[in-house]
Amino acid sequence: MNKAIDDYLVKLRAALAGADAATIQDAASDAEEHLTTALEQAIEDDPGLAAEAAIEKIIETYGRPEEVAAAYKEMEHMTPVALAPLDPQIVKSREHRFFGVLGDIHTYAALLYMLLSLVTGIVYFTWAVTGLSLSAGLMVLIIGIPFMAAFLLSARGIALIEGRIIEGVLGVRMPRRPVFFKRDLGWWGGFKALFGDRTTWTAILYMILQLPLGIIYFTVTTTLIVVSFGFIAVPILTYVFNFPITQTNHHSYYAPGWTMPLFVLGGVLTLIVTLHMARGLGRLHGRYAKKLLVKGEH
Amino acid sequence: MNAVHAEDRKFLKELNAGTSALVLLSVVDRASEPIYGYQIAKLIDAGSEDVPMMKQGALYPVLRSLEKTGLLESTVEPSVTGPPRRYYRITEEGRAALERWAAIWSENKNFVDSVLKGTHHE
Repeated sequence: MNKAIDDYLVKLRAALAGADAATIQDAASDAEEHLTTALEQAIEDDPGLAAEAAIEKIIETYGRPEEVAAAYKEMEHMTPVALAPLDPQIVKSREHRFFGVLGDIHTYAALLYMLLSLVTGIVYFTWAVTGLSLSAGLMVLIIGIPFMAAFLLSARGIALIEGRIIEGVLGVRMPRRPVFFKRDLGWWGGFKALFGDRTTWTAILYMILQLPLGIIYFTVTTTLIVVSFGFIAVPILTYVFNFPITQTNHHSYYAPGWTMPLFVLGGVLTLIVTLHMARGLGRLHGRYAKKLLVKGEH
Repeated sequence: MNAVHAEDRKFLKELNAGTSALVLLSVVDRASEPIYGYQIAKLIDAGSEDVPMMKQGALYPVLRSLEKTGLLESTVEPSVTGPPRRYYRITEEGRAALERWAAIWSENKNFVDSVLKGTHHE
């Protein structure tokens, strides 16, 4: 073996003194392998090359023993943290994905949001429309501008609150603190900044659109859930309460016994599909809200 | 090579500490057959033009730790002349990690770029 490589390995071991024995062994065999291969390669490329000159250059690119030793020591420290073994990949079957929605907390959170959105929709819509029309109406008076400033500011405040609700319920990361405008802008500068900021207007647009969206979310969700539970309850209604499927003036119609499992099955399937829909809508809404409510997301 | 400032070297070292695992995983993944350290170092040097991004000796501990965590696997084979060589190849887990890390890297890169260009905040 080359004398220079031998020297290098001795120095490397010395520099690693105190490290784990396995680390020292690894470092030495890596270095030996690399330096020998590099030297071979260099001599093959240029047969006239003196081994001494070549090895100096090779060691320079490989790193001084102290440098290399430091890299191994660092890796020894870092391995548990930065490269901890990864979770085994969980492979989910189709059935698991379909029924898994029942056990997913996000589903129920999204469902809650769908129901809540009617309430917030009414509040936001009223606030936005009132604020806009009063701002426009009062513009001829001296208080028009201050009123509008207050309204625009409130829209940004509501955007922040809605963001907090969405992050809490739908799990989409939203801003945690308001956007501050520069302090030295002054009253008028602040108003202009607020007025000229696109996010102010998209936030107001969001508030207005929240009413129709809220109505749709609420109606669709409640209808589908009620229908699902209605189907599931058919056997109980029929046999316990003697409640017919349909009724005309003189006749009551009951579903035959063999259809009972079908009703229950249909109800359960509708429920699961509804939950999937709620979860999906929740995700979509989160993304849409982020676009409209967060600065720099347009 | 131009004189590198001490603080530049420190910055480069810290930067490499995070990216070297990703780079090595990607190089091993690209290789059509098991590849040994010297070849990996050559490939990386070819990519980094005149300024070497990191000392070749610093690649090996990263390879070792990638193997320890199951992202790479290796076999030792005797070579004709010198000491035996350790050949690395990527595992399934390693491929999955590479995919995720590449996504993280590109997110991170975009973020840093946007801060540098000053478009992130006014």
